[in-house]
Amino acid sequence: MGEIVRYKRDVWGEEVILGVSWDLLWVVAVAVLVLLAAHAIVMAVLANKKMDKPSGEGKRVVRHEAIDRWFHWLMALSIFALILTGIAPIVGLRFAWLNWHWMAGLLLSFITLVHIVRSLFWQDFKSMILGPRDFAEPFDSTRLPGKYSFEQKGMHWAVTVVVMTVIATGLLMFLQIDSPFWERTNSMPESQLGLVFLLHGLSTLALVALASTHIYFAIRPEKLFYTRSMFKGWISEDEMKANHDPNLWSPKQAD
Amino acid sequence: MVATSHDVMLDIELYQPTDEANALALAASLGKDGWLLGGGQDTYGWVKDRNKSATAMIELTQVDAWKGIKETSDGIEIGAVTTLTEISKNPLVKEKFALLAKAAGVVASPQIRNVGTLAGNLAQDARCWYYRRGLDCYRAGGNICYADSPEGLNREHAIFGASRCVAVSPSDTAPALVALDATMVISSAKGQRLVSAQDFFVGPDVNITSMTALEEGEILTAVRLPNEWANAEYYFEKVADRNVWDFALVSISAAMKVSNGVIEDSRIACGAVECVPRRLDDVENALRGQQRSEQLAERVASIASQGAEPLNYNHFKIPLIENLVKRAVRG
Ligand SMILES: Cc1cc2nc3c(=O)[nH]c(=O)nc-3n(C[C@H](O)[C@H](O)[C@H](O)COP(=O)(O)OP(=O)(O)OC[C@H]3O[C@@H](n4cnc5c(N)ncnc54)[C@H](O)[C@@H]3O)c2cc1C
Ligand code: SF4
Repeated sequence: MGEIVRYKRDVWGEEVILGVSWDLLWVVAVAVLVLLAAHAIVMAVLANKKMDKPSGEGKRVVRHEAIDRWFHWLMALSIFALILTGIAPIVGLRFAWLNWHWMAGLLLSFITLVHIVRSLFWQDFKSMILGPRDFAEPFDSTRLPGKYSFEQKGMHWAVTVVVMTVIATGLLMFLQIDSPFWERTNSMPESQLGLVFLLHGLSTLALVALASTHIYFAIRPEKLFYTRSMFKGWISEDEMKANHDPNLWSPKQAD
Repeated sequence: MVATSHDVMLDIELYQPTDEANALALAASLGKDGWLLGGGQDTYGWVKDRNKSATAMIELTQVDAWKGIKETSDGIEIGAVTTLTEISKNPLVKEKFALLAKAAGVVASPQIRNVGTLAGNLAQDARCWYYRRGLDCYRAGGNICYADSPEGLNREHAIFGASRCVAVSPSDTAPALVALDATMVISSAKGQRLVSAQDFFVGPDVNITSMTALEEGEILTAVRLPNEWANAEYYFEKVADRNVWDFALVSISAAMKVSNGVIEDSRIACGAVECVPRRLDDVENALRGQQRSEQLAERVASIASQGAEPLNYNHFKIPLIENLVKRAVRG
């Protein structure tokens, strides 16, 4: 394996950070593939043992409001566009990617801001807090979670950290290029700029890993009802009772 | 700055293939380690300054199949390793495509034209001095542009189409070939592909580290000029700080079909204002079907500079491009 960080000489001849080594992209891709394949094999073996799947029929409860579903899919779209436009030139696909990249970045920043405000004032923020009780959940099959399971909360907070890093560093990088809103000043010292590029690169790699993992779990047969709820908004009462503790999460009935 | 020792010549493997198949096989097997060499007039500057080099060079000037100028059923074909002097003096080129003869004839100096090849002139690298000095700017794979900064010296740089890098296309023959609607013949061990001159040049928005569409292992082997624009009315002018041995500040290459004073069609391209030869489509559209006149020249001149985004030190390129367009339209 090659290096993790790339270096260059700044205008004064000093060695400074240039950014992440994109060799890591292949490392991440292979690692994610191996881990997910291993998970899929283990699950396939276990599937022979326990197979009572809750029914999706009958009464329904609301899991995601329409606005939150919109938020999720717009966020997915912008992250997908960011990954695609950011990675394509690295793997040698040539097109004018930069304008699409920053436009997707602005969309992601805007949606994230709206989501933060909404989650703080209009949503049940507590349902996403990861407390000590949650850490016991994976080891105790009698414990059912509230609205979100340990894995879902873990994924949410990992994505939060990574997306916030991508946004913060992306906005700083955006200031370094000409845009319809300003002319670049090129004023950031090269050593700082390198650090920003490095963090952006590392968070991009993490985002690739998280997005792939997220998509994998979204299409796993035992989790498909969650994915359906991201389209339709509801899960069945049966699915809810099998996977959640009604004392910790009491959703509205869906129409 | 990069520590430089000029004491010892660099250790570079030199390959001198004499036939096409051998040259293409070498380009394929050496990949990015095999630097293609025409007359070396761009290359040797890099190597001499120790700012770019290669472990191997493939000299192409001994491949006879890629030399010379011949008439074809639809125009002429120029071997890509033909020298600029030969092109500028060739009777066929002078008779049918005088625009190119003129452009090739003002490149650099007679000595450089005597050895410099058409392919080398078209595929030459950016002439931004920060880059040439060996600084790790965007074009060198870095994350900053030194030319477009508050202190940056950017008198020669782009006024259009910049994307992070603001270097311009330095070639004098490139805009002429765009105006003549030339086709580039690109060969590799895998076969041949044809690319229009306009698509051959690539801006930094698409590829910030290369100025052409050439991929690893590919060689520009010929340039075809279609009869469509043969013997059109041509206008070429290059403005530079010196008359010889200097790159254009702005150049214009125009081919026009004029009948009874009416401009029926035209193709106009400018050099040194953008990272690629800048085709003036809006000017061409405004000219189509119009009677040549001073008013027309004035009107389209301002169209030529629309959308220009000058840097700190190159505002002068705006009146320059406008005046060159006026002169081209006046004829
Ligand atoms: C002092 C000076 C003044 C100059 N002034 C001008 C000027 O006014 N106008 C102008 O247009 N140019 C100017 N130049 C640039 C000069 O014209 C070009 O450097 C020259 O034409 C390059 O031709 P070459 O064959 O020597 O190229 P080389 O140095 O051999 O090659 C140049 C580049 O093209 C690539 N290349 C060469 N052949 C092929 C091929 N067949 N297929 C694919 N890639 C290839 C090489 O790998 C290299 O990257 C000037 C240069 C100097 C040094
Ligand atoms: S203009 Fe291009 S070549 Fe010159 S310093 Fe900027 S990025 Fe580098």
